[in-house]
Amino acid sequence: MRVLWRLNQRINQWRAMRAITEALRVAYPFILVMALLDFLGQGWLTKTGFFYQIYHVKQWLPAVDLWQQLVQAIGIVINGLVAVMVAFTTGHYLARTYQSDALAVGMTSALAFLTLNVNYMALGDPNRNSATGPSQFIEGNLGPQGIFLAIVVGLVVGWLASHMMKNLGRWWLAHRQTPLSWTGRIAMPLSLILLVTVSIGYALSWLNTGGLNTLVYLTFQALNTNLGHHGLRILAVTAISNGLWWLGLIGPIDVAGNSSVTSLQNLAYAIQHGSGWGAPHPITLHTLGDAYANFGGAGMTLALIIAIGIGSHQARYRRVAGQTLLPNLVNLNEATLLGLPVLFNPILLIPFVLAPAVNIAVAWTAISWKLVPPIVYPVPRTTPGPLVAFLGTGGDWRALVLSLVCLTLSVLIYLPFVRLLNLQGGVDHAA
Amino acid sequence: MRHSWWRWLVLAIVIVAVFVPSQAWLSKRISQYKSDYRTPLNPIIMVPGSSASQDRFDTLITQLRQETKVPHSVLKVKVMEDGQLSYTGSIKRGDNQPFIVIAFENNRDGYTNIVKQAAWLNLAFKDLVKTYRFNHFSALGHSNGGLALSLFMENYLPQIKSVTADKLMTIATPYNMESTSTTTQTAILKDLINGRKNLPKNLIVYSVAGSETYSSDGTVPANSVNQGKYVFQNQVAHYTQITVTGDNTTHSDLPQNRQIVLLIRQYILQEVLPAKDRYTPPTKQSRNANSDPGETGLP
Repeated sequence: MRVLWRLNQRINQWRAMRAITEALRVAYPFILVMALLDFLGQGWLTKTGFFYQIYHVKQWLPAVDLWQQLVQAIGIVINGLVAVMVAFTTGHYLARTYQSDALAVGMTSALAFLTLNVNYMALGDPNRNSATGPSQFIEGNLGPQGIFLAIVVGLVVGWLASHMMKNLGRWWLAHRQTPLSWTGRIAMPLSLILLVTVSIGYALSWLNTGGLNTLVYLTFQALNTNLGHHGLRILAVTAISNGLWWLGLIGPIDVAGNSSVTSLQNLAYAIQHGSGWGAPHPITLHTLGDAYANFGGAGMTLALIIAIGIGSHQARYRRVAGQTLLPNLVNLNEATLLGLPVLFNPILLIPFVLAPAVNIAVAWTAISWKLVPPIVYPVPRTTPGPLVAFLGTGGDWRALVLSLVCLTLSVLIYLPFVRLLNLQGGVDHAA
Repeated sequence: MRHSWWRWLVLAIVIVAVFVPSQAWLSKRISQYKSDYRTPLNPIIMVPGSSASQDRFDTLITQLRQETKVPHSVLKVKVMEDGQLSYTGSIKRGDNQPFIVIAFENNRDGYTNIVKQAAWLNLAFKDLVKTYRFNHFSALGHSNGGLALSLFMENYLPQIKSVTADKLMTIATPYNMESTSTTTQTAILKDLINGRKNLPKNLIVYSVAGSETYSSDGTVPANSVNQGKYVFQNQVAHYTQITVTGDNTTHSDLPQNRQIVLLIRQYILQEVLPAKDRYTPPTKQSRNANSDPGETGLP
């Protein structure tokens, strides 16, 4: 623990790490609004939402469609552009530490990030500007998926632009004997950087259609296909997936596998036999990961929030945990990940990967020993974590007990690390 | 922590407020899945007419096997008068469209016999469901076999909750027995009309008539086949009447009539036939399968 703490202190002194933390802190309020809207939109207003279904929202809420579209519209703007915001704030903060022109650098890095996600395939398309034509940006990459790339771009561009501006100004002064105008100081590095990023983006578009991000995602998705029934492999993939989440590569492995072939075969079996006992695929990513290791989303963040509620003295942590509790209940944890932040936090990486792994191991044992049946009935994505297994097994109490055991275990795993974080920031951050 | 007791109370209320409705939702969803789920096994139940044995459809089946190039397996069931079942043949593994012929030891004509045959059909059917665990099927009845099947669908099938009927094709089925009258209703037609509300709402019915002369196929009057509309029309999802003329249209030749074989392939086996063999109905009695009679104001 002591070693870990020292490592944490060392890493936190890096300029890049501070920039990331700061960038995420600035982006947090926006992400929080997005998360709360998502809680409403995905949990209460969409057809597949958990609360929509159990409370029959359609029957008593007038003009459901209208509400849905309203929330959706705001969601598109905030959720859809969160990575652009992160690219801006990262570049902005890094430039500030170099005492460069922070706003200009921030905007440069946001633009640079966008150039990497232009839909280059659509450039030659004659329908490009019509409503039915292809979109001009690879929009999926501008949302939470793109946060990792946004951070990288923000750091690189922030560093590069700051130094270029400074050196250019110095060089100009030395050779022309007049100070370079503000416009010139920004326009020249901007054009240079955009030229570089556009060429990178364009070159990558020859490799695949989805831009740089998709390339990374495809690589990891390949891991996920045909995972089979091997508990160890499921364990490894979940651990890798959670590690990627921690890096900001959100959701390369889509866990909500209600519709995979194995899940459908399990469902067919359960319908014919009345329960999930003896289902053909008891051990899958869905029956282990979705059911017992995804409370609050990747990394069992619901347990993290409870652990903060129990053991944290950091006012900021307690505040973020309280604010993001609702979205976490319906497994939308982006706000928690970016708000605390969990991302790039070396101390929280360990429980973030460990807790789901332990849960999967426990669930694997329990299912193999036939203590609980595997989940067979599809449940909405936004079902509160501890209820997923209970509802998915058709109301088996043993599954509920196992869920609560898993939650308790995860809280216990998170607790020491949350306590360790109490040391952070010294007196001024303490509650 | 002054207010800790009411915080716990709120937490408890929230948990109950989520937990209880989710339970109700769950049980509803599971029954929904159960009713929506369709087994891959989708047998075609064939019932021969009076005086015919379980081998009545052999020629038809041979023809179907040749034309479809699918070795549909055949299971034959004979129901004895005392309710005993004797099986011949088998359903091969992996064959999802087997033919099951259900015949009766007492295969005589007449109202009382046909009513009994419907009850025997039920016995055999329940045993088949128990053995092979299918939850939907199509049916093909020749002549009085169509009457037994119709009676079965009205009186017995609604009690077998797990099984739904997809399609029913009756070939030269005399819904009004031998009567050529369009007004007088025989006992069996009265029974069928009285029980028509029990017919499965999503059933698709085809009634095929043969025509040797302009008024009959030599045995069954065309008017008697036509009376079927008073049973099915506006009760099932679709009711289509088809009349076949030309070669092989006498009553007993109908099951192996080339046109009817094509109709069976198209509608019961749901094959995609080449355009030249496809039958496109000139008019089709259809009714919205989703509308509940209660909602449309029907009594």
